[in-house]
Amino acid sequence: MTDLRIKIGDITFSNPVFTASGTFGYGTEVSDLTDVSKLGAIVTKSVTLFPREGNPPPRVVETPAGMINSIGLANVGVERYIREMIPLYDNIGTKVIMNIAGTTLEEYCDVLEKVEVISSNICGYEINISCPNVKKGGMQFGVDSSMTEALTAEMRKRTERLIIMKLSPNVTDITSIAKAAENGGADAVSAINTVVGMSIDSETGKSQIYTTYGGLSGPAIKPIGLATVHKVYQSVNIPVIGLGGITTGLDAVEYLLAGAVAVQVGTATFRHADAGEQIINELHQFGDSKSIEKISSLTGAVKTYTK
Amino acid sequence: MANVQLAKNLWSMKFKAPEIIEEYFGAGQFISILVCDTWEHPLRRPMSIADVKGDCISIIYKTVGAVTKSLAKMHPGDSINVLGPLGNTFTGWEDGRDSILVGGGVGLAPMLNLHKMVKTSTIIIGARTSEEHFLSHSPQEGIFLTTDDGSIGIRGTVIPTLESQVMSKQNPKIFACGPEPMLKAVQSFALENQIPTQLSVESYMACGIGICQGCAIKKTEKEGIMRQTYHEKYDLVCVNGPVFSAEEVTFD
Repeated sequence: MTDLRIKIGDITFSNPVFTASGTFGYGTEVSDLTDVSKLGAIVTKSVTLFPREGNPPPRVVETPAGMINSIGLANVGVERYIREMIPLYDNIGTKVIMNIAGTTLEEYCDVLEKVEVISSNICGYEINISCPNVKKGGMQFGVDSSMTEALTAEMRKRTERLIIMKLSPNVTDITSIAKAAENGGADAVSAINTVVGMSIDSETGKSQIYTTYGGLSGPAIKPIGLATVHKVYQSVNIPVIGLGGITTGLDAVEYLLAGAVAVQVGTATFRHADAGEQIINELHQFGDSKSIEKISSLTGAVKTYTK
Repeated sequence: MANVQLAKNLWSMKFKAPEIIEEYFGAGQFISILVCDTWEHPLRRPMSIADVKGDCISIIYKTVGAVTKSLAKMHPGDSINVLGPLGNTFTGWEDGRDSILVGGGVGLAPMLNLHKMVKTSTIIIGARTSEEHFLSHSPQEGIFLTTDDGSIGIRGTVIPTLESQVMSKQNPKIFACGPEPMLKAVQSFALENQIPTQLSVESYMACGIGICQGCAIKKTEKEGIMRQTYHEKYDLVCVNGPVFSAEEVTFD
């Protein structure tokens, strides 16, 4: 049987399949539909300093092989998150990565500090610097290398836990942002957040999302995700976590080959809450059929025609 | 098992779903159907439960896009992936003498389900023309059809009929489901006349279980609401609804 364990920083994960932020709540809501403990890790919905209502509807729309969302970081806020969610992680049976979003450097730091001073089994933080759907949702960090580096460094000063910077594909050169995260002291980067998209109903002439543009996810963006992961993998020495349109074990394999150490499953979870579990099973099947000893041997092993 | 056309673009499907029925607790609840195995159309389609009989569930759906059209091509023996039961139910309808049910389009589904529970209730069904109706206009049985063009039943929207029915009841209560313009009209009539009313609303959904936060609906503004809140301004149709009281929600 293939060894699915992978390592990021000092942490060993039981397998490389995580949930993607915003598609699995805080990790505790769907336990009756899937065995959460099977997952390599849960990445929570973005948590901000204060509670957020999110954007007005319509917030989601289906598009060919994908969907556009513009939720607007609706979340309970860090105080309530600490009070109500963190205690539930004691018996969750898997690793928890808390996703943090903010509008200013201070806000990101405040959220992280509030969680750092309490005891919890959160193993790391994914820092959302790439939300496309709120005016000040961190995107100003995600498009700017020096701000990315500064934010990463500030986070690094404040925690020993994993720091994963979540990168946006909606930039001119993602590799420079990835390098900035590495220079700032990040343990890993995750890519890609959603791709800016738009949907129009020709019948009514209406834009289908309140904020006009939203974030495109699902199989429609898988090729973009693969190319991005491959580019980032070649430009940094820290692990890359790949996401964007993963719905099967073979999709996950493709991301690993492109250079990912682990993957996150998002939109697929909306169709089947146990999508992550299925993907883990399919990874095992793939590993067995190819007699792969360690899944980590796949990382970056893609054969390209040119260097 | 059956999949039959009821009226123009309106279909009914009946299928076995014993596990869903085990957890089902009343009219208003819905299921979410994954019609296509391929990812061309990724999202499940939420649909109201129109009937529960034995170990079978019925839904009513309108053939509008590729997904519902392919649903209409399914045959007994085919299988679909169904998640449910989801959402809440209508409440306080037990006294049928006072209950007035209003349905339009596929919004008819939960109203027919409720109508079966409260036999003596009045039901008003709105449509544009006669070809969209499949029941008979029969006021003596409490079934009123309305059409925009008067081709069957009473000419006009459901509202004038609703008004006259409300007048005839001692303690009228309204239960409605249908397209947003209809719900809006029922809501403003109900609020104006202070009639207890429950509305079942439709929404686009990605997950149906409260995770994606996609199916937000605006709550009626309350005084003293703080600036930074969570779920004080918006509810989620999938877990807080689909049934809301007329006072609770605001349509834009």
